[in-house]
Amino acid sequence: MNQKEDSRRLTLSAPVSSERWLVGSTMSILLAILIFFMLYPVYDICKLSFFREGAFTLKNYGAYFTNPRMFRSLTNSLYVSLITTLITTVLAFFFAYGLTRTTIPGKNLFYTVSTFPLIAPSIIQGLALILLFGRNGLITRHLIHTDWNIYGATGIIVAECLYCFPNALFILYTTLSAVDTRLDEAAQSLGASALKTFYKVTLPSTKYGIASAAALVFNLTITDFGVPVVIGGNYSVLATEIYQQVIGMQRFDLGATISVILLIPSMGAFLLNYYLTKKSYALISGQARPFLQPSRPFKKWLFTLYCWVPTLFILIVFVTVFAGSVVKTWPYDFSLTLKHFDFPSLGGNAPLWTNFWASVLEGEWKSLIAYKYAPIWNSLWVSILVAIGGASLTLLAGYIVEKKRPKGEGILYALSVLPAAIPGTVMGLGYILAFNKPYFLIYGTFWIIIINIIICNFTLGTLSSIANLKQIDRSIEEAAVSLGANPIATFTRVVFPLTKTAFFSNVTFFFMRAMTTISAVIFLVSAKVKLAAIEIIFLDIDGRTASANAMCTIIIILVVAMLFGMRLITGKSGLKGMSATA
Amino acid sequence: MGRNLRLENLTKQFGTLTAVDHVNLEIEEGEFICFLGPSGCGKTTVLRMITGFETVTEGKIIFDGKVINRLIPQKREFGIVFQSYALFPNMTVEENIAFGLKVRRMPKEKIGERVNQMLNLIGLRDWRRLYPAQLSGGQQQRVALVRALAPDPQVLLLDEPLSALDAKIRVRLRAEIKRLQQELKKTMIYVTHDQEEALSIADRVVVMEAGQFRQVGRPIEIYQCPNSSFVADFVGTSNFFRGIRAEDQVHTGKRVFKIAQRGPIPEGEVFLAIRPEKIEVFKPGDTAVEMDSTNLASGRIDVVTFLGAAVRLIIRVEGEEVISDVIEKEFAQRQLRQGDEVKLYFPPEAFIVYPAEEVPR
Repeated sequence: MNQKEDSRRLTLSAPVSSERWLVGSTMSILLAILIFFMLYPVYDICKLSFFREGAFTLKNYGAYFTNPRMFRSLTNSLYVSLITTLITTVLAFFFAYGLTRTTIPGKNLFYTVSTFPLIAPSIIQGLALILLFGRNGLITRHLIHTDWNIYGATGIIVAECLYCFPNALFILYTTLSAVDTRLDEAAQSLGASALKTFYKVTLPSTKYGIASAAALVFNLTITDFGVPVVIGGNYSVLATEIYQQVIGMQRFDLGATISVILLIPSMGAFLLNYYLTKKSYALISGQARPFLQPSRPFKKWLFTLYCWVPTLFILIVFVTVFAGSVVKTWPYDFSLTLKHFDFPSLGGNAPLWTNFWASVLEGEWKSLIAYKYAPIWNSLWVSILVAIGGASLTLLAGYIVEKKRPKGEGILYALSVLPAAIPGTVMGLGYILAFNKPYFLIYGTFWIIIINIIICNFTLGTLSSIANLKQIDRSIEEAAVSLGANPIATFTRVVFPLTKTAFFSNVTFFFMRAMTTISAVIFLVSAKVKLAAIEIIFLDIDGRTASANAMCTIIIILVVAMLFGMRLITGKSGLKGMSATA
Repeated sequence: MGRNLRLENLTKQFGTLTAVDHVNLEIEEGEFICFLGPSGCGKTTVLRMITGFETVTEGKIIFDGKVINRLIPQKREFGIVFQSYALFPNMTVEENIAFGLKVRRMPKEKIGERVNQMLNLIGLRDWRRLYPAQLSGGQQQRVALVRALAPDPQVLLLDEPLSALDAKIRVRLRAEIKRLQQELKKTMIYVTHDQEEALSIADRVVVMEAGQFRQVGRPIEIYQCPNSSFVADFVGTSNFFRGIRAEDQVHTGKRVFKIAQRGPIPEGEVFLAIRPEKIEVFKPGDTAVEMDSTNLASGRIDVVTFLGAAVRLIIRVEGEEVISDVIEKEFAQRQLRQGDEVKLYFPPEAFIVYPAEEVPR
């Protein structure tokens, strides 16, 4: 009897462990990927900065802090980041207020235009400002004839404000639309003036949202590479200084040291943002969607006028860059041309595409599309793979963390959200240090770039997967299981279909990031492997500003095409609730 | 003997908290069992252990003679109906019902046949192509019910299936579940905190408190002969008096009640329980002859609440509140009003006596 029962128990326990094995091994694979491709490179950076010939040393830090030219990059970074944070948060707050708390006309237009900066590389703001306010700028030189130009701190701050605007706006928009407006009405019914209500009720109830938006802007600005590299001029910041030391001077040790220094404020801002976001969501009451009273005419006019300011600025940026790419010689000869889209031979290798185009095209078109556009095909190819890979991996990570909760899910969660804290340039340098070894076969190929972009953007993908999976009631999955579905059938037939919209919005997000990212991959491109977004910088450095604009325009067109494509598939705009945190 | 489900010393511990404490029960094939208890009593935990979604800390779950403790949920072939319906929102009514058959790789024609059969069972043929979001709560729960029944489960488990519905629909669906159970002769285990639901639907009711089975019995037994003051209090409403028993009398300090309980009666300090509808209420002077004057009391009507067919009176008797339910007709005939001085009669045979160590809530 006893023996019989034992043998039965053995056979019955087998299926239990088979599911556990499936979840456990999936989690192990994800953990291995994150440890190997995120922690290991960062570890290598720290090691290089603290150790020389096997011994612990602070010499690198001594060298950094005693060299005034290098040390300035830290104070510069902090300066532009703080000013940008202040301006962007205030601007975005009142913009969000106008969109959520007033009855101004044109809300959809305002909202849509304000998301534009997400679909282009951050560098676009820099390019536009140079065309308008640079040494040869349309406005500075030719309209008001001044010698002043925007290069340096001013340019970085203005450009970063535009770049960070939608990211801050998303957070503040969510906060303001979720906080109960009945509180405001109650305060006013008790006799508080509109202004007093704002200070005593509205502002305190959104304080966590405001602080979390500020922390995000700070993080984005201090880690950005694209803007300072084109518009910074001699004004060096941490992110560009790392690149300068590594690529310009071949001083990997100093690059690593500056990376560690940059990690501290960016990590701090990330943790602050993370902590505040949680607090902010705790304040949101579930049933706060009352009717919005019509605003008084004065308030309406004021906010309409106000909202047009950032909207126009963003529109001008895009129009300028587009115009800069199709006129003969900005700002002297405005006759239209497409010659800037005929890039100087950029070269690079786009294996599949190049062969494909070379086989179907002839003559001039062949050299243009198949060879000169190689970086664009590369970018497209990389972006498609990043989109599919990134969305799938983050969905799996979210599923395990939110629904399966095996032992160790806390570690998986922590590692999944950590990438947003690590600046792209740091990650890029870390990849060189960790993987530039002969036995590491994917170094110098597309694959390392694909992995890098997926890892750098893992945070937002995972968080949005988790948020979406949270909405699926536990009993739905239990229903499937009790009806006899195995774990794989439960996932593919029930869980995945229910997260499809979130999955596709993650696909869009990863695609956009892959098309527009600069900071990390600039360390990973080579003469053979080139990417469109990176070519903007090289074209700009070569003085081919118009071609840089043209490349930027092509990227935007591709991203917009992708957004429309996704819209056709899912019937929803892919941009909502999406912000670039890396 | 059919395929019985047996719980043996079943125990569930969450950390230091014992949610289910060594419970034993034999459920026969085709039986309709109801777990009834206040929230947090462990009834849902018992159900989840039976379904396999919760592991067993100690004891055994035996089905058809086999220990199934470690069998994964999808191998147990127990259907489940959830409080939240848990219909797959991405599938139509038809696809929802077919799901359990598809994953079992049943041939297509057979699936169609079975789905039709199920739809007929609940009279929802016209809605087969609708999505759950297009149905009302009651309709959704009916679909969930036949979805769980479609693969012909060994046992059907229902976890507070009607709690999310309106009172009216709850009563109607309750009757429908009962009808289906009798038609299909399916073993059903039903969890609820609603005593009326439990008493009206089940063959046997298990009253749970603090992880233990306090009483298992037919609804009428549970109501008429609650075996503890907890059950007397939780199932229905009861008036309680504390006192000392001497022979067939109980002295409460303020008064003496005559009792007429059959069988063994607890000694010494006891609790007397009496249902509100057993107490007679009338105007002074209307005293009937056959009433034992020991069990007569005087009081004043404090609160009058209409319950529909009956009227609930809260009567103050020497500083204590006594609840009495009078049918509406008698209430009108006897012209009872709030503030009236009234007489109360406690029939000796209506008292149930419990040992005093069982303190009612």
